[in-house]
Amino acid sequence: MGEFTFPYFYNYPPYFTLQPVKDTREKQIQLWKELILRFCKHHKCFVIDLEGEFALFENTSIQRKLSFEAREQFLGALIADGRAEWLDKNHRKCLILWRRIQDWADLLLDFVRENGIELMTLEEIISGDETHGTELAGIDRGVLIRAVKILEQRGRAAMFKGSSTDDDGVKFSPN
Amino acid sequence: MRRRPGISGLQGAAQARDQYRSLGDNVAKVRQDQMKEQLETFRHQLEEFASKHKNDITKNPAFRAQFHTMCAKCGVDPLASNKGFWAELLGIGDFYYELGVQIVDICLATRPRNGGLIDLEELRSLLAKRRRAVSITEDDCLRAIGKLKKLGGGYEVFSVGRRKLVRSVPMELNRDHNLILEIAQPRGYVTVEEVQSELGWTHGRAIDALENLLKEGLAMVDDGAPNGKRHYWFPCVGPSSSVESEAEL
Repeated sequence: MGEFTFPYFYNYPPYFTLQPVKDTREKQIQLWKELILRFCKHHKCFVIDLEGEFALFENTSIQRKLSFEAREQFLGALIADGRAEWLDKNHRKCLILWRRIQDWADLLLDFVRENGIELMTLEEIISGDETHGTELAGIDRGVLIRAVKILEQRGRAAMFKGSSTDDDGVKFSPN
Repeated sequence: MRRRPGISGLQGAAQARDQYRSLGDNVAKVRQDQMKEQLETFRHQLEEFASKHKNDITKNPAFRAQFHTMCAKCGVDPLASNKGFWAELLGIGDFYYELGVQIVDICLATRPRNGGLIDLEELRSLLAKRRRAVSITEDDCLRAIGKLKKLGGGYEVFSVGRRKLVRSVPMELNRDHNLILEIAQPRGYVTVEEVQSELGWTHGRAIDALENLLKEGLAMVDDGAPNGKRHYWFPCVGPSSSVESEAEL
C-alpha cells in the first residue's frame, strides 16, 4: 500500500467550509465524494462514524476541519449515488461502498475460481492465509455476506451455518 | 518655359503638357513595376526564410518572438489567415491553432475550481507541461488567446495588479471586483474588514462586491479560520493557485 496522495483541494481552506453558492457547492461535494471513496478504499475503511474522529475530515496542516453539517452533506450525497448507506436510524454510522456489493461478488467469484476453492468460512475470507495480500483481505463482514447472497442468487454459492458464527461458511460452485 | 503668343503658342503649350504627362505616367509605371518586383522578391525571401527556419520558429520561443517582430515591422501578419502560404509553408497558423485548442481545454478543465478565471502564468506552465518538448512563452499565449477572441466565447486577458488573468467565461467584472482581486493576490484571500480598510470602502460596498464574486463562482468562503473571520478565497489568484493543480489535469 503506497502513500495516499491528497488532491490539491485538500490543502485549500475553503473546501472545508460548505459553500453557500449552489454551483460551487455542487462542485465541492463532487470532489469530496471522490476523495472519501478513494481514501476509504486506500485504507480499507468501511464505516465512518459521524460523531467519531475521522482523519480525512480534518487537515491539521492548514488547521481546518469539516463541520458536522458538511460531513452529513457529503455522506448524504454518496448515499444518493448508491455508494454509501446509513447503518443506523439516527444517521450516525455510514457504510462506505467504495466497491459496490455487486463488484465484491465478482471479485470473490474470480478469487475462488482462480484458486480452485470450493469451501471457505467467512472468517477465512476476511483474514485467512489464502486471501492474505489480496483485495479481499479485511472485507467488512456485512458487505461480504451481502456479496455472497448475490452469488447465491446466481447459483454460484451457498451459505451454511457453522457451530458458531466463526464457522459460518460458503460453499462455492464457481463453474 | 517662355510664353509665346498666338494660337500655335497655345497648341504648343497643350502638346508639351501632354508629353510631360505621358512621361510622368511612364516614370510612375516603371517605379510601380520596380516596387512590385521588390515586394515579390521580399515576399519570396521571407517565404524562403520562413521555410528554412520552420523548425526554429515552431520549437524555439525566442526565435518565434523575433520572427513575429520582424513580420510586424514589415506589415505582414502570419497569423491573419490559415489559408495563405504561411499555413502551407510553416503550419504556423496551426501552431497557434493548436495552442488555442489546448488553452480552451485547460480553461475548461480548471473551470470547476477557478470559476473561469485563470492566472496567465499558471495557464502557461500547464500548457508547457502538457506539450513537454516545446516551450511556450507568455507572448505565444497572448497571440493564441487573441485568435480565440475572434471566435467569441469571452476569452480575454486583463491585468490585475502586476498579474495577467485569462477570463474564459463572459462575466461582469467591474473596477471594484478588480481591486478586490488585486488586494487578494499576496495571500489568495481577503476578509471584509481588509477590503474596507485597504480600499476605504463602506461595509456595504465591500460585502456587495464580495458577494458578487461569490455568485460568479470566482470566490469561495472559508469560515474555519482560527480567528473566526470569514475568509474569501480566490482560486484564480494567490500562492495556492499554481502549485497543486497539475494532479487534476
